[in-house]
Order: sequence, then structure tokens, then C-alpha cells
Amino acid sequence: MRSSVSYILSSTTSEPNMSHPDYEQFTHDHAALLILIRQIGSQLKSKTFYKFFDRISKNNNVKITDSTGQVRNIFIRYVKQHPVENNDWGDFQTHRRLLGLITLGKYDTQVELNEICRVHESLKVKYTSTLYDSRCILFGPPKETDSPVDISSSSDDNTKSSDNEGDAANRNPDDCIEKYTTPSNFKTRALFYSESSPCSDLEDQLIEFIHSLFWILESKRLERSREKLERVSLLLAPFEKKDFVGLDMESRNNKKRCAGRMTKRLGDLCLQAGLLNESLVYYATAADTLKTINDWLWLGAAYEGHCAASSIVLYPNIQRGTGLHRNASLQEGSPKKIPTSPITNVTDIGNLRKTMTNLLAPEEIAKKYREAIIHYSKYQNAGIVETEASFKAARIAVEQNHALQAASFLQNVVYINLTLSEQEKIERFETLADLYTQIGFIRKASFCQRLAATRYVSPQNPSPNWSQCYNLMVQSLPGHRLTLDPVEVKNNDQGWPALQIQLLQELVVAAKRMGHSALATRHMTFLLQTMWKHLSPTEQKELCIQLQSLAAQCEGAPVALVLDSGAIIPPANLTNIPICQVFTLRSLQPHLQPRKLKIMKQDSGPFLFTPIHFGSLERNSTEPKTKMDFLWVEGDLCSVSLKLLNPLPFELKVSDMRLLSSGVVFESIPETVILPPDSATLVTLSGTPKEHGELELQGYSTHALGVKSNCRLKHMEGFLPHFTVQIVPSLPIIEVTTSLPQSASFSSLRDFDSVITSASLSLYHGENSDCIITLTNKSQISIEYLEISIQSALDSRTQDKMFVWSDEAVQSQLPIQPGGSATIKLNLYAQASFIAPLQGTQDLNSGTFGSSFIGSAASAGPSSLPSRLNSPNHSLPGRRTDISSSFRSSNSGHSSTTGWRSPANLMLPQNVFSSLVEGQLQLRYSGGPGFEAEQCRTCSVFFTLEILPSLQVTNWDVLPADTPSHFYLVLDIANLTSQEMELEYAPSKTMHIEGHESCRVPVPVERCPLSKFKSLYTENLEETKSESSLDLDKIYSEHIAELVDLKWQLSATEAKGKASLQGITLAPSMLDIVGMSPILWEIQINGSLVKPQEEISCEAGDCLELLVKVTNCLDESLHQIMLCVQFYQDYENGNLNYRMEARLAMTGTQRYPIACLDPQQTEKYTANVIFFSSGQYKLGVKCSTPENSTSAITNENTIGHLWKFIPPVNFIVT
Amino acid sequence: MAVCVAIIGKDNSPKFLSSLNPDEELCFQYKILSSLDIVEEKIHGVNRATDNRELFLGLLYALETHKIYGYVTNTKMKFIIVVDSSNIALRDNEIRSMFRKIHSEYADIICNPFYIPGEPITFKSFANNIKNIMTGTV
Amino acid sequence: MCDQSVFEIFHSELVNYVIQNNETQLKNTSKTHGEDLSNLEYIGFSTGFRIIERLTRELPRFRDELDTMKFICTDFWSAIYMKQIDNLRTNHQGIYVLQDNCFRYLSKLSNTKQYLDLSPRYVTFTCGLLRGSLANLGIRSIVTAEVQTMPSCKFHIQVQRN
Repeated sequence: MRSSVSYILSSTTSEPNMSHPDYEQFTHDHAALLILIRQIGSQLKSKTFYKFFDRISKNNNVKITDSTGQVRNIFIRYVKQHPVENNDWGDFQTHRRLLGLITLGKYDTQVELNEICRVHESLKVKYTSTLYDSRCILFGPPKETDSPVDISSSSDDNTKSSDNEGDAANRNPDDCIEKYTTPSNFKTRALFYSESSPCSDLEDQLIEFIHSLFWILESKRLERSREKLERVSLLLAPFEKKDFVGLDMESRNNKKRCAGRMTKRLGDLCLQAGLLNESLVYYATAADTLKTINDWLWLGAAYEGHCAASSIVLYPNIQRGTGLHRNASLQEGSPKKIPTSPITNVTDIGNLRKTMTNLLAPEEIAKKYREAIIHYSKYQNAGIVETEASFKAARIAVEQNHALQAASFLQNVVYINLTLSEQEKIERFETLADLYTQIGFIRKASFCQRLAATRYVSPQNPSPNWSQCYNLMVQSLPGHRLTLDPVEVKNNDQGWPALQIQLLQELVVAAKRMGHSALATRHMTFLLQTMWKHLSPTEQKELCIQLQSLAAQCEGAPVALVLDSGAIIPPANLTNIPICQVFTLRSLQPHLQPRKLKIMKQDSGPFLFTPIHFGSLERNSTEPKTKMDFLWVEGDLCSVSLKLLNPLPFELKVSDMRLLSSGVVFESIPETVILPPDSATLVTLSGTPKEHGELELQGYSTHALGVKSNCRLKHMEGFLPHFTVQIVPSLPIIEVTTSLPQSASFSSLRDFDSVITSASLSLYHGENSDCIITLTNKSQISIEYLEISIQSALDSRTQDKMFVWSDEAVQSQLPIQPGGSATIKLNLYAQASFIAPLQGTQDLNSGTFGSSFIGSAASAGPSSLPSRLNSPNHSLPGRRTDISSSFRSSNSGHSSTTGWRSPANLMLPQNVFSSLVEGQLQLRYSGGPGFEAEQCRTCSVFFTLEILPSLQVTNWDVLPADTPSHFYLVLDIANLTSQEMELEYAPSKTMHIEGHESCRVPVPVERCPLSKFKSLYTENLEETKSESSLDLDKIYSEHIAELVDLKWQLSATEAKGKASLQGITLAPSMLDIVGMSPILWEIQINGSLVKPQEEISCEAGDCLELLVKVTNCLDESLHQIMLCVQFYQDYENGNLNYRMEARLAMTGTQRYPIACLDPQQTEKYTANVIFFSSGQYKLGVKCSTPENSTSAITNENTIGHLWKFIPPVNFIVT
Repeated sequence: MAVCVAIIGKDNSPKFLSSLNPDEELCFQYKILSSLDIVEEKIHGVNRATDNRELFLGLLYALETHKIYGYVTNTKMKFIIVVDSSNIALRDNEIRSMFRKIHSEYADIICNPFYIPGEPITFKSFANNIKNIMTGTV
Repeated sequence: MCDQSVFEIFHSELVNYVIQNNETQLKNTSKTHGEDLSNLEYIGFSTGFRIIERLTRELPRFRDELDTMKFICTDFWSAIYMKQIDNLRTNHQGIYVLQDNCFRYLSKLSNTKQYLDLSPRYVTFTCGLLRGSLANLGIRSIVTAEVQTMPSCKFHIQVQRN
């Protein structure tokens, strides 16, 4: 806006402080009388002074009726200070002259009073060139009477300038009631009050004072207006004094100049006196005049005056002062609005333009002002005026709501080249900032504030004020779209980062120099936190180092700082150093996890099965949840794992890391960690909940770079706002030790996690051993509930046999007190089948025999179990029914009860290996408050049993014994160990078996009594006979297993155990031998009963009478029995000779069929026999039922039974 | 020959800034930030010229050493050009043509699927093109 | 002339692709949804947002909302669909209805009520296009389309003022 004309070089005077700019001027001040209010002496408190100042300032508008009856609207402006030099510009613009002086002082003694009066007089002298009148308000001591006494004194002023007229008339001080009097040379009117008095007539006095000022002014104006324009002297602006030396005073230009200037002056005076219309006329005339002669300076002044007057007309209610809020209703100073209050002395208020012909329209005001300023800018020394004019114009534009215009006026201000003191510069910027804010140019305003702040501490400033600087910078933050709350900054990211960084850095410096190191640290933290992503790596590093050094003086803490000014600086938390990438809560270790004591069945409503998933499981699995599925236990160490990344290129030490939580009390354990540069580290933070309930984890706190921060997850990106965990009441912890050594490796069984110890043992088949498990209560809560169970892959029956303990013994040890212990005695028994499996097709003559077997039904479990334990229950392909017979045939006649060493051709079973049985002993325990909350803990002991084979029954057969009540069970027993085994197979009968050898032992066994299998025959005979024979088989094998007890002992290792014949199977032909015969034999030879083992002697040629009685002992009838009587010779070498035709003769049939033998029925058979030759003969009597005979009645297939009379009767024939 | 070019988004956050002299960039940022106030006023102010249909806003600020011109697209993107005051040869029309070129560059870049509207522009080719426009070598 | 048909074919293919994508997604997650055209709408949104810069480059500044809508109906529509909107109605309170009596993508489908139930697929892209263009011009809106008889189509624009 400045004129492009180079400066009109007025002589630069040597006065550096020609005048001081008054930034607060409004155009309306052109119409105001200037009054200075000063405080004298230090007795008066400044607060009181300001109070009175405000009170007096309220009287700024007085309506005075002049001599013509016109009511003049007089404005008064009160200032607190006024540089004397400004008075020099009074010629140029009359409103700059100080017209009135009011001083306030307080005194307690006469001396002080005198002093106050003296100072007042000196002030008067100071401003004497323009001062019209003055008043002195004196506050006496409180003891004074409160009626003010008016003691006025007049003064004879030595008027030097014609402008200053005398004061009120002198009056000598009268005798007054007070003790204090003003000194005799005090020539001013003094108003005495006591400080506490309400000073009720102060306003009246002031109004009277103003009246007096007005009249003086009015008289001057009238005097001026009567002057002839041709003869006026030249008015000069202060710096012009030397310009006009030597100029022709009589030239027309000069005349015009004088006239124009004087007209303008008159305009000023009229304006001050309240005559707006005339002032307008004068200004317009002056402007026209001065324009012709290119008197730029005064032309500008005329324009300015014109604008001022117009603005007063148009905007009479302009608000002034930065402290006042702009009234919203006044904001739109609509230019065409007719002012409501009559402010002129023009009587008709109609169309203003008609009455005020020179009134400028608002646009014209702006235009004229612009021109005025341009004219001012041509003069180097008119800087102050130009500055003030720019401000005034801007204020008008603000009133007009024309922001752009206001901005352009304000912009001009900065270019005005003034020598200002630093304080003035600061004020200038502050005013600029304020005005920019008023028009809404917030960014520009903050820019100016920043400049003002820098001025406060610039090197030229003699008294740098860092706290002011700081304050201003803080005020400029909103303009840069910054607040001091990091959360808000994160949310709206609209600022210009480079500028923001700059500003924050300056803020840090200011805070530091201010001495408030906590604040400096806080701001630096804020800078790093909010601007992190906009900083380059080098900047990041530098700033971090700076922060460290700052924090060395004062540590940062996440609390809000309260400044003296009352501003609250919110905490800034460093969440970027280090950056947290992962925050996961970790469940407790499985053996410490609380579990529900009773598992409730999930209730899915009335549906047994439904394809509709209530509760929509899919939705749950996709979203991450804040509530954790697992539980934590009160009093236990619970942990959260974090992954932290150190973004700085140097090592970062993060100390005192804790967890932030709300909800139940949670004691967090501080951690310190040193993070290597540019890499992620896993850190675990732990803590102990001290109560039960719901715990909410909100984040973690760190202490890095000297700054403590609370990093809350809800303010960090990529995390759920918080995590909640349910804490259950405390549960006890036990420690388990076993008496066995631990096993080297675990296998993968399910539920493996809760294993806390292991035990391993190797046992031989049939051996049992004890394991003492000691439970020690390691916590402070007693254990009230303990439940033991075994889990393994075995079937429950085997499992129950292998792992045995006494529940009562355990339960009796409860409750286990803290520190106490309990023992569980676990008996381990290596259960296995001792029966060798089927070994495929065998060669009958090789002497090895396999036999089918029914293994113990075990589940098809993991492969660690011996494979021999699995075979289905029903496949019995090709039972070898003739095995036993051939077996028997090679051992015929052998009835000794001693076994013999195995022949070499008895092979050992090939595929018997040692096996591994694994099981877990699960302990569920609970106690204390956790027990009441139905939670428990589980832990388990992992057992590895290595089962070594001890012995195996590879073959077996039954042989009839000599007595009908027993039979021999011949077993081929293989010693599968490498040690010598001593086998006790019958009471007091032992056998030594070398390692890896087998031997044959006969075991005498009682025959199965009829009672056991009689029931079979009462069952429904329509079932297939094979089943019934199977059942018979089972009954017999159970019977054998019950009775046979093999005890083995290894001599080297002292291991001993039992072997049972569970699972032994019998071929059908064996069945008859095992079971007691249902037939009761009675044989009589020649009428005498044959006793067993009795030998019958007779002579050749004797006729013996044989009577055989057969009684059916069953409850059922037997059908189709063939009684067969046969003589034979036993050569004792396994050969039997049945061909007896030449040796004997029998009467009667050899075979005697009995169709049906009812229960308890006896059939007789008689025969006679004659032996022809001598020798030893045997009689074999047997009953048999035929095989595969289909009985017409029963319609079944039968398998033949064979019952023999045992032992065969011996005949010795001589 | 422009000294500095800035592209500012709808929310008045800077999207792109390029200046011939990188040392002065911070200083330019301040100036441009202040000029945004003027732009806002011109677009949204109460007294704006309602029949100004042009996208070119004209001279925003005449500082001592630089002149700042503004241009607002229909999509409320603001382009600012800072010109050296001593460069009196630069006429209004040339400034307008520079703005048009910048606008077409911007229209091209916004059609680039790798550019997400609202984020700072970091394309090297774009920066090169703007530099060429600034130095007038287009 | 040929580039117009290229874009029409491209548009139909785009619709097919999005529908197919939806079906495979449906199979994977076994959620039962209605036809999910939000992807298609977003494609339109993104396109409109970006292209409006180019289209309005040479034009003078819009005075107000109505001015903008007129631009949409004339220059914008002719640039894309080679014709102007046949009818613009408004209630001056933020609701605008743009009627196109022969919407280009629908005109090749049918002239009657046939395929009426498939028509939403083919107008979704344009809804997004409108929404994106308006968004970049500073007007936040909700755009829906209504097809009563093919090939005429009405676009309802509801400006959101808060």
C-alpha cells in the first residue's frame, strides 16, 4: 500500500523518540478529549488505582448544552500514560493533545500530602503546553471525616502558549476542619476523600471538570473559526519545522497551504467539540484545498479526519478495547443502518446524507483512508501517524466486517519503518495479532504472536522476558492447529508439521530459559510424541538426546502441570519410544490355571442336534475380543508380554516398566530392559492381582529418556482399548515329587501341559512296585479338595489294575496346611497277558504249537502300546482241535508231576518285546477362597512304565490226572529275561529256568465243578452251540486263571511277580478234561467197586463181570450218549494197542448207546470179559456225544463231548 | 519463475510443497500459512465477490520480497505460488498459465491409483514436473 | 465411438467380477447375505472422486449447490454417458432427483420389465460415481437409484448437512 514515491526527505531530526505510537486508537478518538489519570506516590495501592481508573473511565460521554442551546455530545478518552512528545503533534491532529490531568494519591501525613501536591504541580508543568485543567484526588487516612471538603486553589498559570488558558480562580485555602492542608503553592483543585468512602460525588466533580474542559475548548474553537483564513499562520507538524524555512510565505501555494491546514484544524476542533456536521464540511474543504497544492501530509490528515468523522456518524457504538468482548449484535455494522442514538446536534434525523452532505459512505471511508495512509507513507517521519492510521482504518474495516480490507491495512503496518523500542514492537505485534484474530485470520494472528514472542527475547531487548515469550507462544498454538493435549493432536492432524515442530522447539527453549525445566521437559516430550512421524531420523535422534539432557534436570512425569497463570498443561506420554507392537496377555501356565470344579454340560436347549449354531461361533472367532478367555488367580504372578521396538539408532534403556490397570488392585512388578537399536524385543511384565474380580489392563508405563510416561492402549494405534481378565480368588499351589527317577523324554499325550514332574520305572510282567508321591503345599492356602485320577491310553480295566492307590488314605490327609505335605502311595503293577499270541501256521511236527487266544480287549490305542494287545474278540480261524491230541500223543502216558527241561525244539516266542506304558496321574486340587468359587488347579505326574517281559506261556495243554478231581495243565513257560528265574507253579513246587529258555511244567488244577457250568445247559438251547462252547471255554479259562498262581522270581535282581493265566483259551477237546465230568462213573468188577488207581488182578481165563453205572449229574438231560468200553494195552512207550481180539473176549457190545440220560438217571451197562493171555491191560470207559449230529428235537449242531473214566482201570492178568 | 509452489488440501493441511531454495522452505511455509487466511476469506468470506467465477484468486499478499498468488479448484484444493518481488517481468497471465499447468498435473496425479486422495503427494515424477513448471522449462 | 462400447463392456464385466467374488466369499464364510454390492459402489466412489478433478478443471467456480447439480446433469453426464440428464428435480432442501430416460448401461439389457431384478447391479457403479464426485466437490451425500421400467433410471441424491 505504501506509496512508490520515494521518501520525501524531511530533515531527519535528531530526536529519536519523536513520539510513541498509540496502538489502541480508534477513529472515534479523534472526537475525544484526552485526559490523563496518574497515580502519585506509592501509598496508593495499584488495585485501588485501577478501580478508580475504571470508575472514572466510565464517564466518557457527556452531553453538554452549549451557548446556543445545542446539545453537544462530548467524548472523553482516559489514558494512563501519555508521552509528552505526543503533544507536539497536537497541531497536526488536535486529539493528540492532552487536555486534562487527574492525579490520585494517598497520604497519611502532611509531609506526604505535600509531596503529592508537589508532584502534581510538576506534572502540570510537564504538560503545560496543552493542559487545560487538572484535578487532584487525595485519599486521606481513614480517621478523616468523610465529608469532602472542597479546597480549591487557583493558579496563575504562566501561559507560554496562547492555547493554555488559566485555571479556575485562585482561592486561598480556607480554614478547614481537617488537619491536613495542601501547601500554599498548590494551585490545583484538590478533592479529598477517604479511601473507604464511596466518593459519591466523584462523578459529579468529574463531570464538572469535563465541563470546564469543554468550555475552554469551545472558546478556542470559536476563536479559531473567527480567524480569517488569509491571515492564519502556518501550522506545522513537528518535523516540518525546518522544512519551511526560507520558503516564500506569501505565495499562493503557501496561502492555500495555510488556509487548508487551518481548515483542517478547525475540523479537528469541531469534531472534538461535538459538531460533526461542520467538521465534515471543514474536512472536505480542507481536503480539496490541500489536494490542489499537493500538501500530502496534511491532505492525508484531512482525509483521515474526514473518515473519522464519518465513521463516528455511521458506527457510533463501536466497542473499543481488547479486553471487551465484541457484542455479537454490534458485529454487523451494517453501513446503511441509521444510527439509533441521536449523536449529532443536527436536529433533523432524516436522511443523514442530506443533512451531512459530506458524509462518506463506508466504501469511501476505506478508500479515503487508504489514500491517507499512502500519503503518510511518503514521509519518513510520519511513521507513527501512519501506523496509528493503519490501525484505525483496520478497526473500521473490522466494524464493517470487511476482513480483506482490514487485513490489507494491517499488513501495511509491518512495513512502516519506525525506530521502536522492543516493547513497542511487541505491543505492535500483539495488537496486530489481536486484530487479526478479530477478523478471523487466526493463522496470521498466531504468526504475529510468535513474532511478538521472539521480540520479547531478542538480543536487542534490554530486559528479556522469557515468561512472556512463553505465554505468547502458547497462545499462538491454536493458530498452528496445535493444542497441548496429545490425544487431541492425534485426532485432528491438520497442521503444518514443519511449522509445528519449529514452534514446539521454540517453546521448549522458552520454557527452559524461563527456568521451568519441568515445562521444558513436558514440551519436548510433547514434541517427540506428536511430531514423531514427521521427523526425519536424524532429527529424531537429536531431539531424543536433547530430551535426555532436559530430563536430566527435571524428570518428566505423566501429571498435568499447572502454571502460575492457571493454565494446565496436560500430560504428554511418549508412546513412540519405544514403540509397542504387540501387547498380549498370557495365560497362566497350565498347571497353575484355574479350572472349573464341576464341568457343567452345555445346554443347547431341547435340541439334541441342530445344524443351526446358536451363539454363532464364527462371529466370535473373527473379531479380536477384549475379554480374555482364560482366568488369572489372585495372588499369583500373572504376566503380559510386550514386543517393543526401539526406533532410535542408539541403545535405549527403559526402566521401571509397569502395567497400568484399573478394577481390582494389581501390583505390578517393575522391569528394566535395555533395548538394542532398531530391533524388536520381547519383554514380559508381571504383576500380582491382590483381589479377585475383574481386572482391566489399560497399558503400561515406561521411564525412558528421563521421562515417565503412561502409555495407554486406547491412545495407541492398532490396539484394543483395554483388556479385561477375570481374576478368581486365590488357589493353593502344590509341588509334587515322586520317589522314582524322572523320565528322560515325554511323549505326546493329550493334556500334556499340566505335567509338572515325571516318574519312570521299569517292571517285569507281573511285578508290582510302589511309588510314593509327595505333595507339598507351597502356598499360604490350605488344600481342602484333592481328586486323583489316571489318564492313559489303556482301557479302564487294565488301567485300574496297573495304577492302584487308596482314595481314603489320601482323603484322610486333607486338608493340607500351608507348608504341609501329603503322600499318595501308588502301586504300580505291570499287567500284561502272559499268554503267547497266535504265531501263524505252524508245522505240527516241529513241536511248536501256537494257539489262538483271546487277548485282553484293549482299545486300539497309540502305537506305543504293545501290539500284541490287540486282536478282535471273535476271530478264531481254524481252531486247532488236533493240536492237543498230537501233543498228547507225544506225551502219552506221562503222568508224572515233574516237568522237564524244554527240549531243544521248543522254540521261544519270537515277537515279545518290552513295551512302554505311559500314563498321567492327574491331581485336581483346590482350597481356600478359590474352592468356594468352585475353581481348582490341576497338575499331573507323567508315568513311564517300561514293561519288560518276564515270562510267557507259549503253549499249554491239559492232561487228565490220576484223580478225577484234578487235571494237569501243562504249560510251556518261556523265561524271557536274561536272568535265571525261579518259578513256583504249585505250592511247594518250583522250577528254575535259565534266561531265555523255556521249560514245561505241569500244574495240577482242580477240575471245574459242575456248578460253574451247569447253568449253561439250562440256557436257551436254541443258541448256537458254538457260543455255548465258547462260554464254556471262558468259564473254564476263568476257573483256571483263578486257581493257577504262578509266582516267579528273578534271582539276580530280586524282582518277583505273579503270572496269571488270564486269557488262556482251551481247545474244545480240552474242555472235557478241564471241567468236571457231568457223568458220575461207577465201575464194578465182579461186584466190587473199582477205586482209582486200584489194580485188578485176575487170571487168564477168568470171567470178569463188568458193571458200569453212568449217572447224569446235570440238571439237564443228555442226549445220544454213546458209552464205549474198550480194552487196550499200554506199552508204556506211547503206544497203545487196541487190537485185543486175540487177547480177550467180551460179551456185550463195546458200544452202548444211551438215547437220553435224564438228570440223575443212571444207566447200567454190563459186560463180561475174559482175558486169554497174561499181561497188563487197561480198560477205558468213555461216554461221548457225537459230533455234528442234528438232533431232530433240538435242531442244533453239536460238538461232541468226551467224558472218560479217569484213570483207566488197570488189569493185571497173570 | 516461481520460487515456491504449495498444494494444500481441503482441510488446509499441506499436501505438497516445493521450493527452489530448500533453506527458505520454512520461511515460505509461514508465509503460505498466513496466506491461507486470505484464501479462506476470499472463498467463504461474507464480502466475497459473488460473481467471481474464476478459479484464479489473484494476488493474495504482496510482501516486501515476495508476492503470493492463490488458486482454488472446484474441489477446494488450494494452489499457492510464491514469486520473487524483484521479478517484475512476470505478468498475471503467466501466473494463470502456471496455475493451469499445476492444475492439470494435479488432475493427473489424482487419477493415479497409487495415490490416495488426502495424503501427501510423494511422487517423484510429480515433483519433477512441478519443478519444471516453477522454473518455466515446460 | 468405439471407446464408449469398450467402457460399457468393461462395466458389465466389472459387475460380473464383483458378483462372482461375492459368491466365492459367500461360500467361504457361509454367511447368508443379500447381494453385496458395496464393493461395486466403492469402486464407483473412488472413480468419481478422482475424475471430477479432471472434469472440472476448465470450468469456472460453482456458485452454490444447485450450480453444482446442474453441472452434474449437463457436462458431467455428457462426458460419461454421452447425453444429459433428462430431468432434474429438487426440493431445495437437499434432495435432488436426476432422471435419465435411457440409461446407457440399462438400455442394452431390456426395454421392458425383464431383468428388472438384476438392474440394481448395473446402476450401483453410477451411484458410487455420483457420490464420489459430489464428495470431492464438498457435498456429502447419499445416492440411491430407482429403476421402475428399463431403461429409465432415477438417481436420488440426498445431501447431508450437519
